[in-house]
Amino acid sequence: MPTEILNQDFENIPTREEEKNTAKRAKRPIFIFAGIFGGLLVILLAAAIFFSLNQGRNTTQTKPTPTPTTTPEIKEEITAPSPYATDEAVLKMEEEMKSLDQELTSADLKESGLNPPVLEMKIKFEK
Amino acid sequence: MKRYLPVFIFFLFFFLSSFSFIKAQEFNFSRAYDDYLFNYNQYRQSYSEYIAAREAYLSYQTLTSKTQALEKTLKMLKDEDEVIRNYLTALRMKAAETTGISNDEQNILYLKLDNEVTWYTRHKESLSSAATLEDLVASSKKIAEKYQTTEILIYQALGTILSGKETNFRNQLSDKIQQLKGKIGEIRQKGDKDTSLSERWLLEAENRLTRSQEKQFAAQQILAKIKSSDINKSNRYNQAQFTLEESHQYLKEASSYLKEVLREIKSAD
Repeated sequence: MPTEILNQDFENIPTREEEKNTAKRAKRPIFIFAGIFGGLLVILLAAAIFFSLNQGRNTTQTKPTPTPTTTPEIKEEITAPSPYATDEAVLKMEEEMKSLDQELTSADLKESGLNPPVLEMKIKFEK
Repeated sequence: MKRYLPVFIFFLFFFLSSFSFIKAQEFNFSRAYDDYLFNYNQYRQSYSEYIAAREAYLSYQTLTSKTQALEKTLKMLKDEDEVIRNYLTALRMKAAETTGISNDEQNILYLKLDNEVTWYTRHKESLSSAATLEDLVASSKKIAEKYQTTEILIYQALGTILSGKETNFRNQLSDKIQQLKGKIGEIRQKGDKDTSLSERWLLEAENRLTRSQEKQFAAQQILAKIKSSDINKSNRYNQAQFTLEESHQYLKEASSYLKEVLREIKSAD
């Protein structure tokens, strides 16, 4: 046992400040880990909020669509195009009209799911 | 790694509690409609139990069967109030999420629906004080009477929702007509294409929008005339709904005319 004490390097005994620094260095990975983990959870939370809100919006917009009709759409090709056939504004309006037309066709104008509940209002205890 | 465990648990708890809090806050039509369906199924169940208890009481006339009948009738009537309350809430949420209903219309509808909801909530609370079967029979008569006026509001609310959809479509078509008018005006000024045919199609489209508006107004008139004394209010509503479908047909025609205008613009003279 005394030999061990003799082998000790008394010149290089760490000062108190050095000891504090090594302790700080040892704690640093914990803070880094907590920071990364916390950051990831915040991102996940933000993504979850975003998707849950979107899902809510989607569920309210889903409407029962009728069975598509089998009538074929006759598309007449424009054989002689005018200078406006490639006009950006015209093409944009055409796209918007197509989507509006589809919305008009698939619109649910019955809302049968919202028909009033069938209730038995009259109760009696006579034969 | 063990020393990181509390940090991990803290963040996980924070994440899960925030998520469930947000989900709990979100009350929309879909949620209200699910609540209504759940309550409706519960009502159907309690109604079957009431029928069974009633039959048993009428057959045996014992004290036990009477107590059982009282208990089942009370539950059925409470569930009935709850179904109507939830249905009205679902209607309110649907109206809130439908574009095309004006703010004034929405506010009037909310006020009426909220008043009805309050009535059924109070009625449900008052049921607890019923001590005899006679009390419950009298209470059920009150709901039956009240429901006569509630039914009118229900059909008018449904009409408002459907009309709102039509208004929204008509507004969109009207915007498209304005855009096309601007484009046609631009082409006319340039003078490199004859615009008379396109202008005629536009006039026809505008004409269809006016007719659609008239039909919608007629549907609203039908709904406004429903009386609490009407035996079959649903017939009136079906009539109004059919008129709204006619209105929608005019909108479809207007849409096809606008597509023709675009086709005409894209084709050479």
